[in-house]
Amino acid sequence: MSGDSAASAPGGSGARPGRPVGRTAAGARWRAMFDGGLLEGGVQGSPVLRLLLRWVRRPLLPVMRLWRRNIQLRVVATTLLMSLGVVLLLGFVVIGQVRNGLLDAKVKASQSQATGGFAVAKQKADEAAGGTGAGAGTGAGDGTATGDGRQSQNVIQWMSDLVESLSSGGAGAFDVVTLPVGDDSGGGRSPRGSGNVNPTSSVPAALRERVNSGTSAVQSNTRIVYYGGKDSQPGLVIGKQVNDPNGRPYELYYLFPLTQEEKSLSLVKGTLATAGLFVVVLLGAIAWLVVRQVVTPVRMAAGIAERLSAGRLQERMKVTGEDDIARLGEAFNKMAQNLQGKIQQLEDLSRMQRRFVSDVSHELRTPLTTVRMAADVIHEAREDFDPVTARSAELLADQLDRFESLLADLLEISRFDAGAAALEAEPIDLREVVRRVVSGAEPLAERKGTHVRVLGDQQPVVAEADARRVERILRNLVVNAVEHGEGKDVVVKLAAAGGAVAIAVRDYGVGLKPGEATRVFSRFWRADPARARTTGGTGLGLSIALEDARLHGGWLQAWGEPGGGSQFRLTLPRTADEPLRGSPIPLEPKDSRRNRGLDDAGLPRAGEEKRATVPVQQNGVQPALPPRAEIAPRLTTSTPAADPTALPGNGNGARVVPRPSAGARHPVDGSAAHPAPGAGAGRPDAAVPEDSTEPGEAFRGR
Amino acid sequence: MAADREGGARRRSWRAVAYAALGAVLLAGCASMPDSGDLRDVESTPRQDTGVRVFAMPPADGAGPGEIMQGFLEALTSDDPGYDTARKYLTAEAARTWRPERSTTVLANGPTIETDCRPGGREETNSVTCVLAGSQVATVDAQQAYQPADGTYRKKLHLTKDPKSGQWRIDGLPDGVVMGKSDFQRNYTSVGKYYFASDASVGASGQPAAVADPVFVRSKVDAMTELVRSLLKGPTTWLRPVVRSSFPTGTGLQKGVSGLAPDDQNKVTVPLNLKPSRVTPGKCTEMATQMLFTLRNLAPTLDSVELRGTGDDRLCEVNGERAKSVAWHGSSKRPDFLYFLDGKHRMVRMQTGSTGTASAPVPGPLGEAGRGLQSVAVSRDEQTAAGIADEGRTLYVTSLASGGSLGAPLMTSAGTTPDHRLATPSWDARGDLWVADRDPHRPRLFVLEQGAEKPAPVAVPDLSGRIEDVRVAADGARIALVVEKDGKQSLLIGRIQRDDGTGQGISVDGLRSAAPDLEQVSAISWAGDSRLLVVGQEQGGVQQMRYVQVDGSTLDGPAPGALTSVKAVAASEDDRVPLVAYSEDGIVRLPAGAQWQKVDKDGSAPVYPG
Repeated sequence: MSGDSAASAPGGSGARPGRPVGRTAAGARWRAMFDGGLLEGGVQGSPVLRLLLRWVRRPLLPVMRLWRRNIQLRVVATTLLMSLGVVLLLGFVVIGQVRNGLLDAKVKASQSQATGGFAVAKQKADEAAGGTGAGAGTGAGDGTATGDGRQSQNVIQWMSDLVESLSSGGAGAFDVVTLPVGDDSGGGRSPRGSGNVNPTSSVPAALRERVNSGTSAVQSNTRIVYYGGKDSQPGLVIGKQVNDPNGRPYELYYLFPLTQEEKSLSLVKGTLATAGLFVVVLLGAIAWLVVRQVVTPVRMAAGIAERLSAGRLQERMKVTGEDDIARLGEAFNKMAQNLQGKIQQLEDLSRMQRRFVSDVSHELRTPLTTVRMAADVIHEAREDFDPVTARSAELLADQLDRFESLLADLLEISRFDAGAAALEAEPIDLREVVRRVVSGAEPLAERKGTHVRVLGDQQPVVAEADARRVERILRNLVVNAVEHGEGKDVVVKLAAAGGAVAIAVRDYGVGLKPGEATRVFSRFWRADPARARTTGGTGLGLSIALEDARLHGGWLQAWGEPGGGSQFRLTLPRTADEPLRGSPIPLEPKDSRRNRGLDDAGLPRAGEEKRATVPVQQNGVQPALPPRAEIAPRLTTSTPAADPTALPGNGNGARVVPRPSAGARHPVDGSAAHPAPGAGAGRPDAAVPEDSTEPGEAFRGR
Repeated sequence: MAADREGGARRRSWRAVAYAALGAVLLAGCASMPDSGDLRDVESTPRQDTGVRVFAMPPADGAGPGEIMQGFLEALTSDDPGYDTARKYLTAEAARTWRPERSTTVLANGPTIETDCRPGGREETNSVTCVLAGSQVATVDAQQAYQPADGTYRKKLHLTKDPKSGQWRIDGLPDGVVMGKSDFQRNYTSVGKYYFASDASVGASGQPAAVADPVFVRSKVDAMTELVRSLLKGPTTWLRPVVRSSFPTGTGLQKGVSGLAPDDQNKVTVPLNLKPSRVTPGKCTEMATQMLFTLRNLAPTLDSVELRGTGDDRLCEVNGERAKSVAWHGSSKRPDFLYFLDGKHRMVRMQTGSTGTASAPVPGPLGEAGRGLQSVAVSRDEQTAAGIADEGRTLYVTSLASGGSLGAPLMTSAGTTPDHRLATPSWDARGDLWVADRDPHRPRLFVLEQGAEKPAPVAVPDLSGRIEDVRVAADGARIALVVEKDGKQSLLIGRIQRDDGTGQGISVDGLRSAAPDLEQVSAISWAGDSRLLVVGQEQGGVQQMRYVQVDGSTLDGPAPGALTSVKAVAASEDDRVPLVAYSEDGIVRLPAGAQWQKVDKDGSAPVYPG
């Protein structure tokens, strides 16, 4: 189709006026072709960037495709994400509450413990202060000077003993630390700590400040640092300023490591994490299961629908149970059954009609034979009649001839419709056939004043074909050409290349209007209903020829331009059953108006003879992928080739435009070749960025 | 058809319910605490160190002399490895010359500072003399040997004010450190270094006997390295004459070695400054054995010791099993039986491990009735026994095998009363039998070598008084004597000087008091390599039972529970063996972690081998 449009004027396929010709158009085509190729890929810019983009996109593409296509994946992933979020939130809340609860209990216990400890420390200091006064007198070795009891009271050992006795009650549960008040460090009171605690770094400076500023107990959270390689731990520290026996203050701290609480918390954390993991997995599994139960029947329905649309009408869904899915399946099956019934009905009807035509033709033949014999007798005796009656006798014979041939054609067509036509292929030299046909058409040509020329018959053109059918096709074409040639020459051209042979019949008559190239093959179609039929054509000739060509696995295509004549091309595979990939002869002759324009422009056209074409499968509406920017505007208006009735045919009036450059084959024509060309995989041009790997889907020329 | 399907569905649902119930039961099992399960070993967790640490602080700016003194004394009680902080209280000159390791003086209540330790009020002075005073309890000398002491302590310290910085510093002070008793107990720990008895070999194999030499090391300042250094330096002066060290003279740790500690396999690697060529394998094994025994004081689970020479060459390695074969070690041998005399004055014995009270007469003559045994002693190998019979007059030595005969008495005493005749004999690991004759007219100490020869009198040169009781240490190098003088019985420890070929015979010298505060020592028994169980009274006190170290220091460990009227005690070097005492309730024993239990109401004279 696109190829068709490529050759067509913006106004329509084959429109004679307004065809853009000229060198500017030719130059622009090249540029536009290139640009169009790029645009089609959707990437503009440097090739490096393009490569990079592609490299980045490539690994993501399958994932993205899976994401787009798989509803199950989407639902499961969403469920997982949401449940994960909820579990995390829940975990944070629960852990926070547990932490607060643990801490509260610990703080209460610690406070009572520390308060008791402070009381003990005070009591011991009082005892020592009181005892020294007495002991100074009695203790012989004490040596404490009585003159100044306050100053000389020996607190070094007393304080170490105090720390030891305070901490002995809680090995592991708490540690005791004393610190001098403020920076009174050199005054004879060094820091003391039990249980390898590092006193100075375990007690925060802010706490010391508070303790020094008052006499109440203060607590704080801290990290307890140990000597000797033990790991530091979070802890609770409670401190108070206490007086020693000399009445001088010092700071006494109780440090409670929160090891147990930390362990409990990590136990809770571990439990929550495990439970959360299970919940997330469980929710994901549930989502997967549920979606699977829904998606599986939907997928099955999709698959069945695809098969139904592919024509396998007997396919049905499996229906189990009574749920919604089952109802869907039942409805679906009912629909399929109804469809099948209707289609069956229509088929039966169609078959009946064909049968009717065939029967009618047969039934008509018997009386016709009698009528014929009678008419022949009358015709023989026409000289004995008066002129009017003689003329009637002649008319009768003529119309009987026409009637007979019409009946024969009808029979032939009905044979094709019934699939009863059989190919009797054998290697033949097509030149013989052509000669026979041309000599057969000679009388008509002479009558018309037309000269039929044969080109390309220097070498044998051999193909495996049914000579009778080929001859019928060619006769049809040549006679048509002579009839519509308006007395101008008719050229029959033979060529063979690759696996194909082609015969083109060119006339220079009135040509074809846009859209007629496909319609000429329709049954009983007439270009001009008012036109006189001088040769008594039945209106079925081209249809039969098309069926004949199709029987060979070949193409029969038409090209024409109004006033520029037309060309019909028959392309046959060299060996039967071999799929066609192209034709040795371009559908649009090089002496078409447009091509003549090109010639005038002096463009090189070397190697034209070798040019091969790959027709694109006919696809009525395929404007989506414009092969060339140049032809793109035309496309919008030029879809006449897509005659829906002609779709199954492979030769319904399309054209093959030769590629401007020699060598590579480019599928151009839209209407040609179904399905064989598609399977053939014409190689798309490198400038076409988006490579379609699916055979027969879309060939795009440039 | 439909009914069938319905029935199937019902069966399925029943099955599902059953599965759910089963799962619920299983889960319920998991949700309660287990009340049965596998047996598992309990890993011994290291004991939490609750010891108080003092973190010494440098002197404050502008501190007065009194504060300097306080800070200095406090810094001495910290576990600063080289007393670096304490030195900051000294002038540079004094800090250089001060030798803290020379001695440690232990005062009962810590040092107090005399009140005149402040600059005179009348005029600014730059010099002050302070006096430290206290009542002395003990001293630890440069060899780290503990020595009980008494009397008052008075030392003068001189402080000056640095004219430049205006800071008071100590510039004159005696060497050594001083601290109170509780600080000393917190900071120091008593450990035994092990040497070999000079010429005492045990049994047929001739193993040397390991002798413990107790010293005090600072427990929190890399005690293990310190102990190794002390071991390498050699035995303390008191013990030196009777022991030998396998380490060649001059052996020391390689330079810069510190922080010795057992690794994951309970092995300690000690790098020595010995050349491998100088060390024979046998010698090396002995050295490692000494090291292993010594270090086990600090790391009881230590399994092996590896010695390395210069150049990090491995000299040898000794593990516990090997060490046992190298040297005889008293506390590693567990006695099989407890021996005592039953109501019929028969010698009976019972398994040490038994919890019952069943006893059986020993085989041999001493197990027969009618001997009139007063007291017995069993040799360390539990083959031979010595018995004092005839109200203390005669000493018999006989085999513990059945069928032997008592034979003739090896010794007789001419004392007039049973209390003035032979005391309970004692065996050492060599097989020598020691016995004291308490005759007030001729008090003497005898030794019967290998328990069979003629009793040889032992000279005790320093002795003043009469030997009441004698217990020889298992190593045969030390002996504990209860000496009566002026009505007081005191506990003395002496070392046994063997005959070194001069013909003087065996003597006991170097007597020193192991329990100076006990006045009436009524019973003793060795209860460890350098530990004795003593029953006695302090001045004006009541009878008590406690452990003492041979160097006179008291141990922090708990004393056994109180018991009245104890006449004899028996303990073993192996502390898993229960203590046994003879009191007014007869023979009682104290298994570990229990109360005193009665064993035999009529029994007397309990002994463990030795």
